[in-house]
Amino acid sequence: MAGASAPLLGLAVLVAGLLAAALAAHRLAGWRTGRPAAVDWFGGLAALPRRYLHDVHAVVARDPFTARMHALAAGGLLAATLLALLGAIPALGGLKLWWALVFLAFTAMLAGSLMVARRRLPQTPRRLSRGRFSLLPFLLLAYAVGGLVVSGDAALGGVLPQVVALAALVLAAAGLLGLALQIASGPLRHALAGALYLVVHPRPARFASVRDTGLRPLDLAAPKLGAELPADFAWNRLAGFDACVQCGRCETACPAFAAGQPLNPKRLIQDLAAAASTGSNAAYAGSPYPGAPAVAGLGGPLKPVIGAGAMIHPDTLWSCTTCRACVEECPMMIEHVDAIIDLRRYQTLEQGAVPEKASAALSELRLADDAGGRSPAARADFAAGQPLPVLPFEGGETDILLWLGEGAYDLRYGRTLRALLALLTRAGVDFAILGEVEKDCGDLARRLGDEATFQRLAHENIATLARHRFRRIVTADPHAFHVLKQEYPAFGGSFEVLHHSQFLDALVTEGRLAPAALALPGGKPVAYHDPCYLGRYNGEVEAPRRLLDRLGLPRVEMERHGLRSMCCGGGGGAPVSDIPGKARIADIRMSQAVAAGAGTVAVGCPQCTAMLEGVTGERPEVLDIAELLLRAVEAAGDGQEQAA
Amino acid sequence: MSRLRRDPRSEWQARRVPAAGSSATRLRYALGVEAIPATEVAVGPTGRPRRDPRTAVARLAVPGTARLRLDRSGLSRSVTGAGAVSAAPQEKLVIVEAPDFWVLALVEAPGGQPTPHDRQVLGAARLLAGPGAREGGGGVILVSAEPVTGAGRLGADRVVTLPVLAGDPVAAAEALAVLAGHFSARHLLAPESPLAGDLARRTAALLEESLFAEAELVSADQVARRRGAGRLEERRRPPRCLTIGLDRVAMHGGSLHEARELAFSASASTASASAGSILSIGPVERDAATVPLAEAEFVVSAGNGVTDFDLFRQLASALGGVPGASRVVCDAGLMPRDRQVGASGTVLTAAGYFALGIAGAPQHLQGIAGVEHVVAVNTDLHAKMIERASLAVVADAQAVMPALLALLEAGE
Amino acid sequence: MKAVVLLSAGLHPVSARPAPVPVEMQAIALARTLGAAAAGLHAGPGGPGVADALGHGLARIGHLPLARGADPLEALVNHLAAHPPELVLAGRCGQGGEDSGLLPYALAARLGWPLIADAVALEMQGPGVLAVRQALERGGRRTITVRLPAVVTVHPAAPAAAAFAWGQARRGVLEVLPVPSGFAGDAVPAPELRPYRPRPRLIRGAASGGSAADRLKAATESAAADGKLMVGPSPEEAAREILAHLRKLGLVPPRQPR
Repeated sequence: MAGASAPLLGLAVLVAGLLAAALAAHRLAGWRTGRPAAVDWFGGLAALPRRYLHDVHAVVARDPFTARMHALAAGGLLAATLLALLGAIPALGGLKLWWALVFLAFTAMLAGSLMVARRRLPQTPRRLSRGRFSLLPFLLLAYAVGGLVVSGDAALGGVLPQVVALAALVLAAAGLLGLALQIASGPLRHALAGALYLVVHPRPARFASVRDTGLRPLDLAAPKLGAELPADFAWNRLAGFDACVQCGRCETACPAFAAGQPLNPKRLIQDLAAAASTGSNAAYAGSPYPGAPAVAGLGGPLKPVIGAGAMIHPDTLWSCTTCRACVEECPMMIEHVDAIIDLRRYQTLEQGAVPEKASAALSELRLADDAGGRSPAARADFAAGQPLPVLPFEGGETDILLWLGEGAYDLRYGRTLRALLALLTRAGVDFAILGEVEKDCGDLARRLGDEATFQRLAHENIATLARHRFRRIVTADPHAFHVLKQEYPAFGGSFEVLHHSQFLDALVTEGRLAPAALALPGGKPVAYHDPCYLGRYNGEVEAPRRLLDRLGLPRVEMERHGLRSMCCGGGGGAPVSDIPGKARIADIRMSQAVAAGAGTVAVGCPQCTAMLEGVTGERPEVLDIAELLLRAVEAAGDGQEQAA
Repeated sequence: MSRLRRDPRSEWQARRVPAAGSSATRLRYALGVEAIPATEVAVGPTGRPRRDPRTAVARLAVPGTARLRLDRSGLSRSVTGAGAVSAAPQEKLVIVEAPDFWVLALVEAPGGQPTPHDRQVLGAARLLAGPGAREGGGGVILVSAEPVTGAGRLGADRVVTLPVLAGDPVAAAEALAVLAGHFSARHLLAPESPLAGDLARRTAALLEESLFAEAELVSADQVARRRGAGRLEERRRPPRCLTIGLDRVAMHGGSLHEARELAFSASASTASASAGSILSIGPVERDAATVPLAEAEFVVSAGNGVTDFDLFRQLASALGGVPGASRVVCDAGLMPRDRQVGASGTVLTAAGYFALGIAGAPQHLQGIAGVEHVVAVNTDLHAKMIERASLAVVADAQAVMPALLALLEAGE
Repeated sequence: MKAVVLLSAGLHPVSARPAPVPVEMQAIALARTLGAAAAGLHAGPGGPGVADALGHGLARIGHLPLARGADPLEALVNHLAAHPPELVLAGRCGQGGEDSGLLPYALAARLGWPLIADAVALEMQGPGVLAVRQALERGGRRTITVRLPAVVTVHPAAPAAAAFAWGQARRGVLEVLPVPSGFAGDAVPAPELRPYRPRPRLIRGAASGGSAADRLKAATESAAADGKLMVGPSPEEAAREILAHLRKLGLVPPRQPR
């Protein structure tokens, strides 16, 4: 006979499991207050193992210690618990070998639990929450140690004194019960809610390696526009909020948080989860929104989320640059930006509660199709005499349609566009612009929640584009690139869109442009700054780097680069919302370039250019990829002339 | 004065140089005046005529001016005397006894000192009235709350002082309407400023006239203004009531007018129904330190190069400027956020900007894009702000500030 | 308190599309600071620019339909005399029509109400008494108290208008009001209009009349320091030059011995 307490362990597991199920069911029932959502249950369930083991693991594994910790602790806990539960069946419970198996599982869990404890002790990292989370290592250790002793005893056939075995059983049961009690509002909520969220995820295409990042269209005929209450979110979004494990990876990635602006994505998701359930965020024990004005911290499924008397201050909402760094880092695949845009849509469309300068920009967009109220006739002024073919009002034909975007009005970005024009002309590209009928792509309006203006601009631009024949659209503005490529299809405009770095890279590959090796003054290396809307939103991180390498430039990477790059602070309408912080995002980003030893920061976006050029004092030069390439191509031309 | 008519063809023929030497087949012209006098022509080794530029210049110089003026047309010579510019100022007093019509020009002239805008209104009035002392001309009546110094020099034929203008705008408008009726004024002009513009509108409403607001162009037979959301220009013959935009019409220069004082007491004959509804009018408060940047006329702004902000605020106050700051300074908490100039702060509409120790980031320069006059002090010769400034001083702002303050305190 | 905000059919200065007049939207915001039940009133052709005011905080707009180019004064006087509010708010100047800012004055004169111009803040001082904070030149302010009913025009320095809320605009009510015959307003004679071309402002101090040399002298004197660069002067030298320049531009008052 194995240790007598061992089958009781199975019983304890059963009791704890039932308790957890009851608590979880109550919590999950709260999701039903959300709006309905179209969910592919079957496909989601079938894809769950892959989504968990592949997609989630890929994110978790960026921190190897945590990945091992989680595999051991969670895997051990799950395995040991299931095995112990099965051990309650006499046929299995009588086998010493079975309990040896359970012992092994608990050993793994103990190792994981020790790592959990090691991570938090003696000093808990700032990004991790305290409160109930501080209890977690102790509960895990209690369950692991107790279970280890009980199962080991059983595996050896009951060598321990009855009292010790019983004490171990009590310890294990206490730990397990403690863990079960965490299932509704404690750390373990993420296990159940997270698994369910992976099944019902609102962007399932993400798991098919598609960068599905376009915002979803809003039905402008709906009685209420955007999210005012937690209940205005779709139920599977509410599931996403509950999936948060408060690991704080989003917080370390958030540029607004780093700049001391009142935004913390982790806290935002926690506040939304609290608003949707208990109605109080008092239990939150992680980093705050830096410097946010005080709010009442009260909510409920049917109470407003935003406002001084509610859960979240409006400044928090308007601090977001929509860079998606939080989404990229989130191991639970939570869609923070979607939530923020839903909340913004209500504030903008229903309340008109927009920061003053953002309101002015939206007003001009609505009435004059440009955020600065500038005349469409002035858009091509930057060209200053360079050849710039303009399509006729209709029936125009060109190979490449050059979408100028808002950067064209900016004196600095005009230089970039002139370089691009010169390159296109040299390469003999058949290109043209829309001219005065090109309107703002609507990016700013959409990110600021003004879906009505965005949809009008989208429809008008699509109608304009439909009047012409062209093969591809090329633009030097990643925001326009993203909107044209990913967001216009929902309105009936599907185009092949290229960022200018991609197109120039192709021209060089095809040999239509022949750059010479370029030497930058000072011989310092160049660092490429990924625009969020090109890299994270659309996955293009290679073409610009390939292009730079072809110029023979020594290249360094900033600590944050590629898909995990840091925003310049220019997206999501943040420059017009202008929520004050302690530092400026662009300054932080530039200091990262300096730390990497870069003498030049290569950019590919008018926003990034403006933000990074706005950094004062000694700093690396900011040059667009097109400007660098033109220098190299001109250098090659000069070299040939000299040779001849 | 009618201008002389020229006949280019005959002038051209007159300048033809007679054939000399071997180059007889080519037509040659002397591009100086008339044919070149023989005294100025020497014959070069090739046989071509040579001129002496010095004597030519001396011959072309117009006498009687301090600056060298050359008359290449030869016209002033043919109308000798009449057209010659006289350097002596004209001090002839123009006296208008009984003009065909009157033009009323309302000015604000705080403390009796006419502002540039006031002078321009008088200039416009003079344009509408004609130069005076001539048949069919009008006379200009300057109307103000207190006596204005130098009214005659500004072009006023008559001066009416109405203390009531400084008080309740309802009573002031009634007085003006009565005055306009008394003189059967053909035109009533006022500067387009907050207070005078208000008074002009009240008066126009009482007279049941339209108002030609913020005229940009004034001549005796046509006026023009901007309208239609700034997209259109309206032109018409000068109506009865006009306000004159700032810096649109030149002030009167030249003739000195009589500025004869007229006694006029406005009897409240048209006492309106709203009289007495205004219960009190508070004193004007204008503290440059608290004026919103967007409304400021002159902004004194501090950047990285300023370290002593008490001194900076003293200087701004002594200059009568509204204090502003660069983003870096506001970020550091040295100046409040609402003082930030630039694209992410306030975009200025000021006429003048004095930048102390500001290098001029692109966003900052966007904020002062509309400012006409920029004065910059910066240690870096290559700073963008130095490039932007109409007066740029490459020096340490921190050292220039006390020197400026000392100058101002010395009453210089 | 009942307040009426006058709305005009504005145009956007760049796109020339119908647009609300910004300062009238600020007037709505000011009416709301009084807690007033504000309604909009438009006499004219109407259009999307007027209806947009519903998205800036008005729940209701009364529309007196008039032909384009008709003088709205009679219709407004007739309506406001029949349904008098306590306060009529208007922008200091329209944007898209005559843009002379005369209409509120003509209206006040006809109604026999007082008019206070260029308000930046409003506060009730007791029953029927309103304190108006008035914007003056160069950021100056003063407070005028007035007995209601009154017409108050609003200055651009007033607090910002409420941002446009699309959802509110679609819920707001635009009510067409009857215009009795005889009040439809005469057509204002069409003026001679042409596209506006900005003309440079005169250099201050320039005079008409006098000789060309005088005018040239006046012009060059004012602009003499343009583009002037001093490298490394002594602080005193720099200060003297700067002060002289600022005084020449009229930005700093001329010297006054203390």
